[in-house]
Amino acid sequence: MRQNAIDGALTLLVLVVQTTLLRYMALGGLTPDLILIWVVVIAIRRGQIPATVAGFCAGLALDLLSGNDGMLGLAALTKTAAGFLAGYFYSENKVLQTLSSYRFILTLLLVATVHNLVYFIIFLQGSEVSWWGAVLFYGIPSAIYTAAVGLIPMFAFARKALS
Amino acid sequence: MKELLRRLYEFGYLFKEYLILAFFLSLSILLLALNDNAQIRMIRSITVVSAGVLQEVFGAIPNYFDLGRENRVLRELNLSLADEVSRLREARLENLRLRQLLNLKERAQFGYVAANIIGKNLQLLRNTVTLDVGEQDGVRAMMPVVTDNGLVGKVVATAGHYAVAQILFNKDIRVSAKIERSRVDGIIRWEGGSRLLLTNVAKTLDVQEGDVVLTSEYSSLFPPGIRIGVVVSAHPLEGSLFQAVEVAPGVDFPHVEEAFVLMAVPDSARIALERRFHE
Repeated sequence: MRQNAIDGALTLLVLVVQTTLLRYMALGGLTPDLILIWVVVIAIRRGQIPATVAGFCAGLALDLLSGNDGMLGLAALTKTAAGFLAGYFYSENKVLQTLSSYRFILTLLLVATVHNLVYFIIFLQGSEVSWWGAVLFYGIPSAIYTAAVGLIPMFAFARKALS
Repeated sequence: MKELLRRLYEFGYLFKEYLILAFFLSLSILLLALNDNAQIRMIRSITVVSAGVLQEVFGAIPNYFDLGRENRVLRELNLSLADEVSRLREARLENLRLRQLLNLKERAQFGYVAANIIGKNLQLLRNTVTLDVGEQDGVRAMMPVVTDNGLVGKVVATAGHYAVAQILFNKDIRVSAKIERSRVDGIIRWEGGSRLLLTNVAKTLDVQEGDVVLTSEYSSLFPPGIRIGVVVSAHPLEGSLFQAVEVAPGVDFPHVEEAFVLMAVPDSARIALERRFHE
């Protein structure tokens, strides 16, 4: 229960940072997806169910903050699926090893890529924007950027593992 | 019956991860289908207000590191604006005289509400900004958002003291536009990248690099004459009747921090008439 409350508060904090301070990290209009990083951390620390729930809640909040663009539920859906997928990499005995190694970055890259592919499949329905173009110029670079920023928590966990 | 319930429980326990996933995915799909009913508008309003308060606090943090530079830039801007105001005053007087001569009707004048951009939601092709003005400041959905450099976008959701606006770098935005010099009409849209596209422009029409693009009178949403950007390239599309026109937006979207909401609501009578005609 206490862990849920802490994770809930941290999810809220990550959400606020994502929608305020992260604009200063924008590269060519792309920002790293901190919420996705956080969902993957939850998945590796606590497993599939907490990550699925966290993905849904954070995604829904992000949707509500995107205004009335007819896509309410899109981020909730994609981040739920991302949390579930990341949960497959949960191993109770190897939490810190996974979080502090390249496996965390690879997991993040895979989850972010799948997340972005699914996102564009739904988001670009009925749009003149090319799906391949969006994936090539936004989906994949954004996943790589997210994975690169994932190095920060990875090093933090590596330090924790060493100490 | 008990046996059946027990087996159902066992089944549910065994596949609980998949059941939870199915539940949340169904809920998300349901939300995508429902979207804009009264309850969801209320939840959105509460979320925007709650997040707005937090965003306002967090959004102010980086400004302290940048105050010196901002101060210098503002003083320079003030100087050049003072000069421009005096020239514009002259131009306005001349314009009034000419209008009286031509007996033209004065264009509607709209008020502005100054707003700080307290949040930027730069999701993949779904870019919005959060403003610190809302319903209590008179801001309504569909009002245009501008800066001194031109059009930013339109308000799409409002709450007490906060509003969410779609910026031009959003795949759902369409703006009726025209070239200032040659009065060629087209539609502004965005397909990614740092440029806008002026579409539906026939190959034979006169568009050149450096042409200024403004909102046109055909827009039922944006008042005419708001600067959108400058044409950076125009070339014929192969196998098409149209040309590809790229426009550099006047507004520096990644760095814009203040904006104005133009208190112009769409002319509902005009929209209703056009809709009736098309039906």
